[in-house]
Amino acid sequence: MVYTLIIVLSAIAQYFGPWWLMPIICFGLCFWKSETAKGAYGIAFAAISTLWLSYATYQNIVTQGVITNKIAELFRIPNATLLFTAVTFVGGTVAGFAGMAGYYCRAAFVSTK
Amino acid sequence: MIVGYPFFILTCTHKSLYFINKIPKPFISSLFSMKYLRAFLSLVIAGGLTYLLNRPLGVLPSLGPFFSPFTGFWQNADAPLKLPPSEMKLAGLKGEVTVEYDDNGVPHVFADNDEDLYFAQGYIIARDRLWQMDFYSRVAAGRLSEVMGPLALDFDRYNRRLQLPEGAEKLVEAFMKDPISKMIVESYSAGVNAYIEQVSYKEMAIEFKILGYTPEAWSPLKTALVEMVMRKDMNARSDDYRMSNALTKYGKEVVNDLFPDYPIEESPIIPVGTKWAFTPVAVPKVPELMKEAIAAKLDIEAENPGIGSNNWAVHGSRTATGLPLLANDPHLGLSLPSIWYQMQLVSPTVNVYGVCVPGWPGIGIGFNKDIAWGMTNVGSDVFDFYQIQFKDKTLKQYKYNNEWRPVTMKVNEFKVKGLPTMTTDTVLYTHHGPILYSEGQKPFFGDLPVGHALTWVGPVAQGNSLKALYISNRGKSYEDYQKIMGLLAAPGFNLVFASNQNDIAITSSGHFPLKWKEQGKFILDGSNPEHDWRSWIPVEHNPSVKNPMRGFVSSANQFPADRSYPYYLGWKFAPGERGIRINERLSAMEKATVDSLRLMQGDNFNIEARRILPDLLKILEQDASAKANPAYPILAKWNMRNDPSEVGATIFERLVRELRLAIWEDDFPSKDEKTPMSLPTRDRTWELLKKQPTSKWFDDTRTTNKIETADDIVKTTFKATIDSLTAKYGPMTHATWAWGTAKSTDIKHLVPLFKSFSRMDVINGGGANIVNATTDAGHGPSWRMVVQLDKNWPKAYGIYPGGQSGNPGSPLYDNMIDKWAKGELNELVFLKSKDEKHPKVVSTVKLKH
Repeated sequence: MVYTLIIVLSAIAQYFGPWWLMPIICFGLCFWKSETAKGAYGIAFAAISTLWLSYATYQNIVTQGVITNKIAELFRIPNATLLFTAVTFVGGTVAGFAGMAGYYCRAAFVSTK
Repeated sequence: MIVGYPFFILTCTHKSLYFINKIPKPFISSLFSMKYLRAFLSLVIAGGLTYLLNRPLGVLPSLGPFFSPFTGFWQNADAPLKLPPSEMKLAGLKGEVTVEYDDNGVPHVFADNDEDLYFAQGYIIARDRLWQMDFYSRVAAGRLSEVMGPLALDFDRYNRRLQLPEGAEKLVEAFMKDPISKMIVESYSAGVNAYIEQVSYKEMAIEFKILGYTPEAWSPLKTALVEMVMRKDMNARSDDYRMSNALTKYGKEVVNDLFPDYPIEESPIIPVGTKWAFTPVAVPKVPELMKEAIAAKLDIEAENPGIGSNNWAVHGSRTATGLPLLANDPHLGLSLPSIWYQMQLVSPTVNVYGVCVPGWPGIGIGFNKDIAWGMTNVGSDVFDFYQIQFKDKTLKQYKYNNEWRPVTMKVNEFKVKGLPTMTTDTVLYTHHGPILYSEGQKPFFGDLPVGHALTWVGPVAQGNSLKALYISNRGKSYEDYQKIMGLLAAPGFNLVFASNQNDIAITSSGHFPLKWKEQGKFILDGSNPEHDWRSWIPVEHNPSVKNPMRGFVSSANQFPADRSYPYYLGWKFAPGERGIRINERLSAMEKATVDSLRLMQGDNFNIEARRILPDLLKILEQDASAKANPAYPILAKWNMRNDPSEVGATIFERLVRELRLAIWEDDFPSKDEKTPMSLPTRDRTWELLKKQPTSKWFDDTRTTNKIETADDIVKTTFKATIDSLTAKYGPMTHATWAWGTAKSTDIKHLVPLFKSFSRMDVINGGGANIVNATTDAGHGPSWRMVVQLDKNWPKAYGIYPGGQSGNPGSPLYDNMIDKWAKGELNELVFLKSKDEKHPKVVSTVKLKH
């Protein structure tokens, strides 16, 4: 549920707004609903990785990869797969920590019992 | 790997969070409640990470937005058939503008009035090339290091010292004085700014994203700065210092012999024997030359054989249609994005097609219904150095006309990216101009000069290029062509012209200083008023010819006129081979067609080989070891064409280069640390080899036991040539030594570090002194155009080595390169009106107020 919501809401937010709305949404949704710190981290990481990777892959396909190799080469990344990995990792990590912060803030400021 | 750094941070922060869990709880809770601390720390990490990734890290762009597929580099990739949005509201437009894009990405702009036309030109070109425009203006402003860092600082210093910014300010003054150019440059700026205001990070050029900055508002000054880049590229070269060193060592007689003021083989732009239709003004008498030895050193780029161009127009009496044909191929440093951008501009006052330089409004080279025009660089000597005698070490006064004059000082400031404080550069000025480099400061080219003031045309020539283009774009006849002459000040252009009234013409246009003979061939005396630039050659006296008897006009940067021309323009122009070849071919051409001119643009015949190869072979023939060399028969049987498949061209080009060095480097060391000198021209060298093979200059002064002749030098150089080619390309095979492979042309991105945005090793023929002037250094025909004039509607063809889009992620970024390399041209879509249905028009954009 949270996984899907992160994907949908953050996709809308990122489509219309700056990229940093993404961690805010992860924070908010994990604040609203998450069980453990690790779980929050994992679900946000997974959701954003999925979203970024899928959208990047889609872009890559419709544009016939015209830019991917050029950027990989520019960053001296040996191949395009690693570039996708790097992109996924950056997005996922930011999301993960934001989600984890969401969980800890809820634990601190909202009484769960 | 540069991506390593942020991942390192990520990993560390992740671990540190778990570390908190291991701190003994009683200890923590005695200070804070554990839960608040966790919340606080996790917020700091998440927020900090987001913040860090939202800003550039060292050389890295802001990785968050850059990697995000919603805003980052993937957004710069265009699908093969990506069509721009079909309607756009733009504040600042008076009416509606229709832009028809053809399948090559060329916009055809239809506006109801001229203000809207130039507004739309600015807006449309900014969409495709904004980063490039910003880059050019930063080059001339000496502000590249603000966005590129310390790497670009020396370049910036040099450009400021050349007074490119001051020159631009003067140009703006001239633009603003004239209501037409004021309207053009202000409308254009407003159009560019309409785009800048609209563009989001997501749509921004990838170079902005990578380098981590955003575009500044465009302004008339930036347009002027772009023009200054052109002045510098065309004019800012000098061999005065090297010539002075040769003069000091060998004296005037030797210099006159080896560095003559007119070549032995030449075919000047204005046909020999043309009568000058003016009474010359008095030319200043040659004053006393500077006697003192030159103590100060000056090292500056001397010659650049890659910057040049061809153009010609053939009269209707020699064409198949009975009306003129015009061709132009300006040779410039080839780059991506390309220096040119194709456009058609239409308003009630104009319908013109051609290419423009991003940032510079109007069409620079092109055609309309009635006329066509093109340009090549004149390359006259308009860049002179004056030796300055300071009173003392404080450098506060300098000698002039037997008095001490005050030196003025200017401090240039540079806000260098990555440096905490402002960097400064103090420049000394005399009335001649800036001291290019002062003692102890590192010059941009090579090492060390002292006390040389620079006078050059860049910051002083006036004129109004925008008005000139306004008139030429709307030109109908030869009379309109004449109107623009005084307006094109610098760089000087050989302006070729043809009209459907069957007029053809060529003029070496521009403002040229009125010099005494050889003024500026050597370093000038800064203390002698007679060495100053005093006035200009009247523009009506510039070399010009209309409808000459021979039925064609042409230029290839050679001498504008023969020795009968009453004014001194310079002692050396581009080598004559291209001009000789073009004039021979055009003389032989009857019933010329577009195709015969297209083929001529790609002509690979080697005039220099025709001149000297038989003599070289005759010498090598006598040498058994040379004859036994497998390279010898290849050279002997070579068809003297620099075609991509020819191995002979590879051997010959290397041989003549090495030969010139072998003959002269002992006497005129061009790379000498202390006193570098110019090498005599190839024209003079081959004459010496043919006519005086036992001249003392052939003796290699570095060998003591032998006196060499031309034959000895040719034989040893042939062997050395084959050895060095073998060292570079391996044993001789057709595949590895073929001229196309050996030469290979690189078309690099404007930031050479962005290698993956460049197109390397483009295979083609030609060479620096071949009509198809594509060099290994990445210079060559930056736009090829052939126009067939017509009473009703002209037909035109053109191509440049790049693409309309400046975006490396667009299929239109470099789509024309392969076709260009093959010597093919595209038929240009010249629409009669916005209602014309043309099969190549693929999308329409409406711009509305």
